[in-house]
Amino acid sequence: MTEEEFKVKELVELNTNAGEEFQEAMLHRVEYFAKKNADNSVFNNIIQNTLIKSLGTILDLKVKVDNAIGEENLKKVHDFLDEILLFGL
Amino acid sequence: MYHLDGTEFLEKKYYRKTWSICPECLQRIAAEIVEEDDQIWMKKNCPDHGDFKDKLSSSAKYYKWTHYGNKDWGFEKNGEANPPDCAASDPRGCPTNCGLCDEHLSACSLALIDLTNRCNFNCNFCYANILQSGYLIQPSLEEIERIMDHFRNKPLPAVSIMFTGGEPTIRKDFAEICKMAKDKGFKEVIAATNGYGFQKKKGGLEWTKKVYEAGLDTLYLQFDGINNVTYEKTRGIKNLMAYKMRAIENCRKAGLSSINLVATIVNGVNDKEIGNIIQFCIDNIDVIRGITFQPVSLCGRISAEEMNDLRITNADVIKEVERQTGGKIAMDSAWYPLTTVVEFGRLVAYLAEVDPVEFTCHPDCGFATYLVIDPKTNEMVPITDYLDPIEIVDFANKFWERVKIKEKKPISIFSSLLGDFGKTLDKGLTFLDKTQMKARFLIGMLQYTKKPGKLMEMFSRVLLNADWESISSFTHGTLLISSMHFQDAYNMDIERTKRCIVHFGVAMPDGTVCEIPFCTMNSLHRPEIEKLVAKKITAKMKNEFDTTTGLETTEVEPEIARNGGIPKED
Repeated sequence: MTEEEFKVKELVELNTNAGEEFQEAMLHRVEYFAKKNADNSVFNNIIQNTLIKSLGTILDLKVKVDNAIGEENLKKVHDFLDEILLFGL
Repeated sequence: MYHLDGTEFLEKKYYRKTWSICPECLQRIAAEIVEEDDQIWMKKNCPDHGDFKDKLSSSAKYYKWTHYGNKDWGFEKNGEANPPDCAASDPRGCPTNCGLCDEHLSACSLALIDLTNRCNFNCNFCYANILQSGYLIQPSLEEIERIMDHFRNKPLPAVSIMFTGGEPTIRKDFAEICKMAKDKGFKEVIAATNGYGFQKKKGGLEWTKKVYEAGLDTLYLQFDGINNVTYEKTRGIKNLMAYKMRAIENCRKAGLSSINLVATIVNGVNDKEIGNIIQFCIDNIDVIRGITFQPVSLCGRISAEEMNDLRITNADVIKEVERQTGGKIAMDSAWYPLTTVVEFGRLVAYLAEVDPVEFTCHPDCGFATYLVIDPKTNEMVPITDYLDPIEIVDFANKFWERVKIKEKKPISIFSSLLGDFGKTLDKGLTFLDKTQMKARFLIGMLQYTKKPGKLMEMFSRVLLNADWESISSFTHGTLLISSMHFQDAYNMDIERTKRCIVHFGVAMPDGTVCEIPFCTMNSLHRPEIEKLVAKKITAKMKNEFDTTTGLETTEVEPEIARNGGIPKED
């Protein structure tokens, strides 16, 4: 093969046609552990599963609020939350 | 993102003193690390062999970013070391006392065992090859078990093990060795391989299933590029892409979905392939979990001109990644030293009551970033689009600073007063205390997330559980890109060596195990150690395998042997 035939992909976008597989790879892993480790798997813990699903919804809302209040106010909110969360530790 | 932006640190010329070794006589000598022309260099002088100068980083700014701290923390971390295995008897000090001596500052995170120095390839730069050494290195199962016990029985046990070589999958008992590692409690069992066992046309899939079921978790698959011509330059072998593809396809069919590609990057040889390799990972994202770029380490004696031609640093690789991905994975925002997550890891492990994995190596050892997919655009983006790493790490560090005392002194209020009932009460209090800390930590972390989605849900599970299931599943939703620069005699910095977290284990003839940091093994100790454990290649061994290719004699024809055991029609 000559230098001219050498394949070089100039990547201007990191697009993938395997996006679905990528999403599913993580979910397949969850299914794998849930099945393999049965009751010992954290993925079969009903309380945690409920908590994580709720967190998903909360995160969704949080991102919308973040976008609404703007960067400067967000920084103030973060500083305030840090103070509270670290208080008394 | 530079936490030094606007500070005086970036204006000051970098300078520090350290120790290194002479590339000629390998004696310990003093060295200086200096900034010149916006680059970082190591300069040293050997009284017998003169001056040496080698580039450590092509970006002084990047180097200073990882070496100067700010906001009460930096990237240079203090690790916790295991008790030493040997006394530092040589007055020259590190790295002459390896074994492991009391100067070492970090515990081993990744244990390495050379399973054999036989290989079906004959790469001319390889340091562990039967053809170049002229003797066989191949520990017995008993010796391998002794090495595993050594790493697992330490107060801070190694959590991962990697089988190296030669080509480890050449061994007929490879599946048995994988099972042994799982039985000994290693969480992650890895094979550093050119793909030999996995790619076989006859029986490759069955073999892959067998080793996967036995306990193999991950392949570190040698992968220099996507062009056959690249492999001809790097390995001297034709048509190697088909071989690599067969290995990957058999893993896919067997359900072994954790392949990490390993690309040794040599300046002017395959540095153009960096973007190609990233795109290849993205196209095979269902089975490829990451890519490790390894700027070449220069073993053996070479001229200064040759070294300048071949030398490539972590900063060069990171710049090339940015250039070859159209700026999508930017040097200034996407990459972090591996040590970034030390306190974060300790805190998560403490709250979840699991053993921490300590990445307390030196900031120069390696850098990493994660790519994740944006479901809306189907485009891979750095994980920094999903969360703010500096803020997360800053919060985790402050949190850990306040609670780390509790790790040493657990709650004990009622135990001494009420006996067993008191212990139960203290356990209850500890549970409540940890639950409230977990809640605070989780909220603290999630406030810095920028996007919702399944990946962030899995991130929450990692924070809550720090268990293998959550971590493994999270990595299946990401693509890890890292650059790890192993040291050679030209650029060895003893400050790095002392903090190494990747250690070889060698079973010695006297029944002990010698534990040696990766870079000193390959730059310094390997010839002496191997002389002690080498086996002669006997006539019987020659009948058992072909010493030219390392293959079983039944598997290889003479004309095929000349092409690394690969028929040319492949």
